Amino acid sequence: MNDEGRFGQYGGSFIPEILYSSQQQLLKAYREAMADTSFVQQVKSEMQHFSGRPTPLTYCANLTQKIGGAQIYLKREDLNHSGAHKMNNVIGQGLLAKRMGKTRVIAETGAGQHGVASALVAARLGLECVVYMGAHDIERQYPNVFWMKQLGATVVPVSTGAATLKDALDEALRDWSSSYEDTHYLIGTSCGCAPYPEMVAGFQSVIGEEVKEQSIQQFGKHPDRIYACVGGGSNACGIFLPFVDTQTELVGVEAGGRSNDPGEHAMRFNTDQARFGIAQGFATRFLQDDEGQLQPTHSISAGLDYVGVSPILADLEEQGKVRMTSANDIEVIEAFKLLTRNEGIIPALESSHAVAGGLKEAATMSPDEHLVINISGRGDKDIFNIAKALNDEPFTEFLHSYLKEGAAQ
Amino acid sequence: MNKLTSFIQEQRQNKPLLMMTHVVYGYPSIEKSLEIMQLMLESGVEVLEVQFPFSDPVADGPTITTACHHALEHQPKLSQCLKDIKQLAQRYPQSRVLLMSYLNPLLQPGFESLAQQMGDDVIGIIIPDLPIDHHAMLAPLPEKGISPVWLLTPDMQQERIKTVLKHAQGMLYCVSRSGVTGQQAPIHDDTKAQDIQSYLSTIKKYTSLPLAVGFGINTASDISSLKGYADVAIVGSALLNTFNKGGLDAVAEKLQELQP
Repeated sequence: MNDEGRFGQYGGSFIPEILYSSQQQLLKAYREAMADTSFVQQVKSEMQHFSGRPTPLTYCANLTQKIGGAQIYLKREDLNHSGAHKMNNVIGQGLLAKRMGKTRVIAETGAGQHGVASALVAARLGLECVVYMGAHDIERQYPNVFWMKQLGATVVPVSTGAATLKDALDEALRDWSSSYEDTHYLIGTSCGCAPYPEMVAGFQSVIGEEVKEQSIQQFGKHPDRIYACVGGGSNACGIFLPFVDTQTELVGVEAGGRSNDPGEHAMRFNTDQARFGIAQGFATRFLQDDEGQLQPTHSISAGLDYVGVSPILADLEEQGKVRMTSANDIEVIEAFKLLTRNEGIIPALESSHAVAGGLKEAATMSPDEHLVINISGRGDKDIFNIAKALNDEPFTEFLHSYLKEGAAQ
Repeated sequence: MNKLTSFIQEQRQNKPLLMMTHVVYGYPSIEKSLEIMQLMLESGVEVLEVQFPFSDPVADGPTITTACHHALEHQPKLSQCLKDIKQLAQRYPQSRVLLMSYLNPLLQPGFESLAQQMGDDVIGIIIPDLPIDHHAMLAPLPEKGISPVWLLTPDMQQERIKTVLKHAQGMLYCVSRSGVTGQQAPIHDDTKAQDIQSYLSTIKKYTSLPLAVGFGINTASDISSLKGYADVAIVGSALLNTFNKGGLDAVAEKLQELQP
């Protein structure tokens, strides 16, 4: 990365002029904070005592035996406080916001995990919290909305455009342009204008750093391959970056959705519907039409259907340092079932993409190879979508009867 | 002298303040948006700003954002938009037409091709998500006499203002306050009106370029308070709201009411 926050041709800062001084203030504050050992120590301490780090690296004996290829390990980010890797970043940015004297944070969220994590850290640090969320995502992820509200956050539904993450991001940028004096925009993924990609990836790199140590301790070498799902790319950046210049092969798994047709998936690499573009504050690969209009996306998982991708990952892919593959909705549900039933671990639908990608390839690897799949979050939040995908009638009946009972009271 | 600057300076000899109005190409339909543009040019607005819609207009408020999303349902093409507005520019030589859009739709043809397509008729361009640091990207435009219009904001530091002025030509777009388009301008409040007048006076010290003021200009009194401080008043969302409520007749009436 250079001083302008560019990663090859990607990244940079393409924001309305009104945000320039705020962006510069953040850039300076972040660089100064990271050079201050007491701040870095404070972040580490919160990650340990508030979030519960380090998270384990779990060996999957049953799946390894069932699949019959590489030794399968999971990095358990689902065991963070709030049930997802999102906590790593909000702790860092929350403390930075406090250090900058801000009294309010705004966030945008797709699946809701980043919204919950932001609301948690805001409650802990005494900051006001406003979360922008696509109206469509609110319907899909209401349990997370419920928790954000309980934590004292204001959840603002965004109905413009496709009413998903990209539109929530636009709305948060609009808020920031009139509130930057007292407000920190707490971006949840390694996208956006500089220094966000670098900053989010930096706070998330704790994942990969731990895997480096744990893999040596547990199987005496670095993993041969690491798999992570790729929406915006924060969990992938977090686990990949410490391994970029090692022998470990890094594999990103995108949302293949329902089909390869435009609007039916969220693949920024495994498709010709995405290419270089500049929008929402930065340059990256965006799904777009011939006129440069960003396109609607679909994924079974609300957290993966972002129209762009981290400029860090776009650059690493272009350099051949990360390989991108994909898993479609059906493969994701199958992977979810395999992991849940064989290992007693319930992954988020986002993470189930990484599981699908990893398990598909594990069979082609030899038993002396080791692969690590990043379980970026736990699946509790996806209970409604999973029950629907599995066509679980008793669950639907339970909901009907629960609602009927509520209406009768 | 630059085409846009000399036009504004000439017009200013007869009027204390000029008017620039804003239209979203393709809203509510391509034909209707061209009718709105025609009405504005016939009403005597000196500068017309035509926004080519983008899916993610982050510097725009709810009125223009909604208009952009509706306009995109008609799948507008930038090349056709340029043909249409060039034709208008030729039919109304007493006014000037500027193109406004976000960076991504403009990157698709590239700025060489865009400069060719804009020709001599569309003489300026406004790109709100392109900071001055990337001015070099636009080099093919000024080479053809097309002015990139840069934005200045009230909280800009002196050094930053100087950087913008180093590359500015045509006119400067002075944003009246923080936030996105369409919110109420601070001009309604006397103290704030003085703040904006003092901000414009400060900029005047550094440049002889015409100053255009926009974001939230709604009423005749907003416009009146800019006289003596600015050269051009920019009206966007207010006219779009007027159109949404009362159609073309209401826009004609509002334009009369706003005449400086």
